[in-house]
Amino acid sequence: MRVTSNTFPSSLLNQLTTLTARQSQLQTQAATGQTIQSPEDDPTAMRRVLDLQAENNSVAQYQRNISRHQELASVTFDSVKALKKISDRASEIVISADGLKSKQELTVYATEVSELIKQAVQIANTKNRGDFIFGGTQTDKSPFTAALDSSGQVTKVDYQGNTTVPETEIAEGVTVSAQVPGANTSGSGTTGLITDSRTGADLFNHLISLQQHLAAGDSKTIAETDRAQLGKDEENLLFHLSSNGAIQARLEASSAKLSQRSLALNGLVSKEADADLAQTIVKLQQTQTAYQAALQSGSMLLNRSLLDYLR
Amino acid sequence: MLGLLGTLDLANRSLQTSRQGTEVAGHNLANVNNPAYARQRLNVQTSLALPSSLGAVGTGVDAASITQLRDSILDRQVQTETSVRSSLEAQQSALQYAEAALGQQIDRQAAGPDGTTSANGIGSQPGLAENLSDLFNSFQGLSSNPTSLAERQNVLSAAQQTATQFNQVSQRLSTLHSSLDDSLQDSVKSFNDGLRDVADLNQRIISAELGARGTANDLRDLRQQKIENLSKLAKVDTATASDGSISVSLGGVALVNGAQLTESIETYDAGGGQLLVRAQTSGSPLTLTGGSMEGTIQARDGALTNLRTQLDALASSLVTNVNAIHKTGFGLNNSTGEDFFSGTNAATIRVNQKLIDNPALLQASGASGAPGDNQTILAMAQLGQQRQPALRDQTFQESYATSVTALGQSLASVNTQLNSQQIVDNMLQRQRDAVSGVSLDEEMTDLMKYQKAFEASAKLVVTIDEMLDTVLNLKR
Repeated sequence: MRVTSNTFPSSLLNQLTTLTARQSQLQTQAATGQTIQSPEDDPTAMRRVLDLQAENNSVAQYQRNISRHQELASVTFDSVKALKKISDRASEIVISADGLKSKQELTVYATEVSELIKQAVQIANTKNRGDFIFGGTQTDKSPFTAALDSSGQVTKVDYQGNTTVPETEIAEGVTVSAQVPGANTSGSGTTGLITDSRTGADLFNHLISLQQHLAAGDSKTIAETDRAQLGKDEENLLFHLSSNGAIQARLEASSAKLSQRSLALNGLVSKEADADLAQTIVKLQQTQTAYQAALQSGSMLLNRSLLDYLR
Repeated sequence: MLGLLGTLDLANRSLQTSRQGTEVAGHNLANVNNPAYARQRLNVQTSLALPSSLGAVGTGVDAASITQLRDSILDRQVQTETSVRSSLEAQQSALQYAEAALGQQIDRQAAGPDGTTSANGIGSQPGLAENLSDLFNSFQGLSSNPTSLAERQNVLSAAQQTATQFNQVSQRLSTLHSSLDDSLQDSVKSFNDGLRDVADLNQRIISAELGARGTANDLRDLRQQKIENLSKLAKVDTATASDGSISVSLGGVALVNGAQLTESIETYDAGGGQLLVRAQTSGSPLTLTGGSMEGTIQARDGALTNLRTQLDALASSLVTNVNAIHKTGFGLNNSTGEDFFSGTNAATIRVNQKLIDNPALLQASGASGAPGDNQTILAMAQLGQQRQPALRDQTFQESYATSVTALGQSLASVNTQLNSQQIVDNMLQRQRDAVSGVSLDEEMTDLMKYQKAFEASAKLVVTIDEMLDTVLNLKR
């Protein structure tokens, strides 16, 4: 093949352009640690990375949802525990208030029960981040209001909330709620904390009737009716304590699973997008050597022609 | 027998021929870096021999013609490949702009907007993918705390970012569309100029070559360059006529015939703002098969239009579906019936200003008077996982990822084609260089050859002169 004056410069230029482009590509890979950056680099890998990153973002969001639920669950747990103490004390009073006690003693108990009721109302009106947590989804009004008579005794406690609780996702399609409604007399849905028609629990009314019986000195009715009724309330509270524990355990397990998923996703993205640094740098080194060799040999050849030998 | 005077004549012709040889070599040397130039050669032949009793007696040398070394097959191939390459280059640059307009990249080191994503090492994805992901995550966040104003703000800011990103991408892509149309019009103008030049050069070549020996080499070089420039813009067909002119046609329509410019091209609106090319006089639409105009049209009406349609469909589907759910919900103060987004496509999507002004109006609750309810916002959050029939049964994020991948694939395939086209181009260029390129070494040796021949011929003149002197001195 005939090689002319412009063959050398133009092919040298082509080689240098190719080598420069390759160097720039390898340098970008080494600096970013990624083999793909733009969609054109590897469209299918880009697609997989986009999907994986979207999944990872939702995993992170589910984890935030879970920690929000854990907070709610622990607030709920504290309240149920406090209510359980009140119910325990009421049961003690029921046992203490037998026929041997004088009427005066029973009146003192009645005053104590009255205080217990007020305390229980306060607990049932617990707020978390400005929301009443036992009012179902009606979180802007205090769920329980107590009506007092002239002597300061509680005559009635009304429930103003509803029976639905908000459920949120902790994994795709899996919803959970750490909240319970204060009262549920509908016979379906989440069991009410204070009142529930299915278990027969109705803590406030039972305490009120105990208070009234104590004030009246009616130890017979206390032993026959109130003891059994308060037993139902205690069972209901125990049920809530254990179901709260179950929800917390479930949240914990889901959170651990999500952390694992996030790690696995990280590995998958890394496999698609990350550059092997050692390999990249070796390749870059090779390209640089080739570039220098092209420059040197080119400068040697371009400088020489027949003109150097004619005079 | 030539006789002494005849030999002097021979020496004179020989001197002239050598001088012409150095002229041609000088012309070649002068044009060594002219890419359109094909090297020229002086063709010499022995001048007519005189019959004599001794046999034919040579009368020296004659310069027959100056020809250029050009391979017409290579020229034709260069034209064709130039068209292919320009088409690919036009597509590449249009698609690269589109990719930049989309702004979707993978950055594994960047922090996510909440600062957590960088810590877990997956990195973020600046662009709409991240925005959509944030939007649905903010819905999730609000569903776990439906009365929180902070979460509501978060939802609205994610929604605003998504809407703004849609608007910006749409704006950039539409700017790209119109600048591609502009470049098409510019190309049509320079194509018509090129046609006029070719017709003009044909005219000059015909008159220069009429009755003259050899060809109008330098005019032909110029014409070949003009034709290659035309090939860059559109793949033209050429045919050489016996008078030396080259006729040019595009898609079967004759544009230049001999020295006549028979037809020009123009752009026209094929409907819906789609700018195409047709013949000016006959008005028949031209089907382009190569060249930058074809590449521009292909990228514009192919990958770019698809991308815009898909983004519009995505935005419109997002608006319709989110609004349909949001409308049924209730705000913190029991307001209902508001839209979440306004607009119908990627260019017009906005977040309802009323919600931005008062985040409490965001309708997260599914029941009146129950601000703690989250059914509406939960349904909006779950929308992110649902496959939309309007988006070919993909989720919003999947649909967007598909658009990105489709664009990436178009660009990657053009890149690959262009790389292999580069190899073909380089090879053709080298081959053409081998035939037509000027070699300094060759021209220098030619110069030396002609110089020596000139010296030798001069010597002959001196010798004949001395001999004539001798003859004249015979009688004193």
